[in-house]
Amino acid sequence: MARVQLNEVSRVWNSAGIRTVGLKPLSLDIADGEFIVLLGPSGCGKTTTMRIVAGLEESSAGEVWIGDRCVNSLEPKDRDVAMVFQSYGLYPNMTVRENIAFPLKIRGTPRADIEPAVARAAAMVELNDLLDRKPKALSGGQRQRVALARAIVRKPAVFLMDEPLSNLDAKLRVSMRSHIKHLHHTLKTTTIYVTHDQIEAMTLADRVVVMSKAEIQQIGTPQQIYNDPANTFVASFVGSPAMNLIEGELLAGVFRCNGIEIAGFDAVRDGRVLLGVRPEDVAVQAAATRDVDSQRYVLVNADVFTCELTGDATLVVCDVRGQRITAKADKNVRYEIGDKVGLGFSAIHSFLFDAVTQDRIRK
Amino acid sequence: MNFSKRNQVWIVVALAIWLVIASLPVVWTAIISLRSYVDAFANPVKWTAPVTFENYRALWVDREFYKNFVNTAIVTLGTVSISLTVGCLAAYALARYRGALGFWLLLLALVFRALPHSTLLPSFFTMFDALGIRNTYIALIFVLVAINQPFTIWMLRSFFMNIPAELDEAAMVDGCTRFQAFRRVVIPVMWPGIVTTGLFSFLLAYNDFLLSSALTNAEKMTMPAAIANSISAESEALLMQGVAGAVSITLPLIILVVLFQRQIVSGLTQGAVKG
Ligand SMILES: Nc1ncnc2c1ncn2[C@@H]1O[C@H](COP(=O)(O)OP(=O)(O)O)[C@@H](O)[C@H]1O
Ligand SMILES: [Mg+2]
Repeated sequence: MARVQLNEVSRVWNSAGIRTVGLKPLSLDIADGEFIVLLGPSGCGKTTTMRIVAGLEESSAGEVWIGDRCVNSLEPKDRDVAMVFQSYGLYPNMTVRENIAFPLKIRGTPRADIEPAVARAAAMVELNDLLDRKPKALSGGQRQRVALARAIVRKPAVFLMDEPLSNLDAKLRVSMRSHIKHLHHTLKTTTIYVTHDQIEAMTLADRVVVMSKAEIQQIGTPQQIYNDPANTFVASFVGSPAMNLIEGELLAGVFRCNGIEIAGFDAVRDGRVLLGVRPEDVAVQAAATRDVDSQRYVLVNADVFTCELTGDATLVVCDVRGQRITAKADKNVRYEIGDKVGLGFSAIHSFLFDAVTQDRIRK
Repeated sequence: MNFSKRNQVWIVVALAIWLVIASLPVVWTAIISLRSYVDAFANPVKWTAPVTFENYRALWVDREFYKNFVNTAIVTLGTVSISLTVGCLAAYALARYRGALGFWLLLLALVFRALPHSTLLPSFFTMFDALGIRNTYIALIFVLVAINQPFTIWMLRSFFMNIPAELDEAAMVDGCTRFQAFRRVVIPVMWPGIVTTGLFSFLLAYNDFLLSSALTNAEKMTMPAAIANSISAESEALLMQGVAGAVSITLPLIILVVLFQRQIVSGLTQGAVKG
């Protein structure tokens, strides 16, 4: 178990005269026992960050500390980390038992200690019945559990997991997710987990690091990331369906856009802004009954573009003078395409972003 | 693949016909090697004749063909082990290295491979005379390795490319050095590929006639060169020894392929193992 620190770590590739920035200078301080999730779209540098911590990729600049050691010049094997790969990285010619035992064997653990350690690790991921099979004879979920067992068999300082669930089907992903969460609760080992799936990030993380374009956009607890996004990227990447972003003008606390007029902002700044409203914060009501809650909501006329049933909710996608706005309504709500509805917005449930920098405008 | 019963019958019949046509010359050579000259080349063809081992005795004992066998064994083993060792190391590096230099090295290897072997001979003569190693096993092995290496590297590289880099990386995080990851994790997975490549390498060295006859004298020659150089159709006895020699050369090849057929087939068909 160990604290992990990244100080101004960056990575640049120069090949055939083309300069690729994989990672802009990035700093991160991960507490001992913390579960950190790196979240971002494909190509944003998550894997690069993780590989630099593992020592599989050299950083162009910056320092990585694991515990009280600067590990920059250490080989992967000397960093005391264990890694779970996206496509498992199991040794195909070895049985499950040999796979799990390999990290111990190669490090010269006495034979007598290997057997019980393998049994313990296998039990933790419920693999005991499969120990004599080869990886080829296992399902995806079972292979992933072998990879997990191989990581936990040797109590490493840090777990690194690079999209460990992305090759599994949706149902299995949910059950493996809780497996991983439970394992972390039991072992309390510092974990860095990479994913592009915001649900995985929200459910697993102590803190989420949202990344885009080779840099960190925001670091925070899942609640902070969701309730207090730092910019439009974080706001629209986290949350499903994505936050509505409406471009308009802010003048003396009143937001105006194309017929929408919402008062009640006490922002300090006038000018071009983006108004962000989560679908669940947009109220929908039939145009005929637009009397509810006019204290709290500003009502805007809209036409229903589509109505999508997700089972636990109804997504009403509306058209407000060319602007597409999604509202999340109760599961029993039904509208026909083309229906006239009223959409309710409220300043206290909205976020303001600078239209140029895309950063959050705070009071 | 699933074939209907009827198609299966046709496939078996077609394969049987092909087998007869393909193996007829080989089988006939083997049969007449056990006959006297008169019976072997009788006109009309004799389907049965008394069996004699005289041709083999004359070849192996009187002409000391076993010396050529030993030569072949030394040269072939030397060539296969050197070209596989160098080939594995180079191919692994070229499979994992991403820079532009790797591409040019591979291209260069291809160019060298494309040259007709005989164009290289004059410079080899000069070089080996200067080094004083003409007419040695070393010189012959050196040339065979040099000619064989580009192909070996290309072939092994394509096998290594099929092994995901995640495997080496997992091994290195688990506690291996780069070399341990190579030896303990990658090589075992590579085994079919190594056997397949080794076999091709073996065939090149074993079947070589040009280089052995050009670079070595009679007492250092390998079997194909010895047969071709010293046994001609000028005398009936020599011709029969040549027939016996041809069979003697072929037999080890057949045994080898039968022994390694599983690895060869899996090496040729799947290329590598998926995790
Ligand atoms: N070896 C490499 N050479 C050049 N560019 C690379 C290399 N590895 C990764 N990159 C680039 O770095 C960026 C970040 O990659 P990566 O960390 O794998 O993203 P992620 O894991 O977030 O999807 C990508 O644009 C990718 O193309
Ligand atoms: Mg990645």
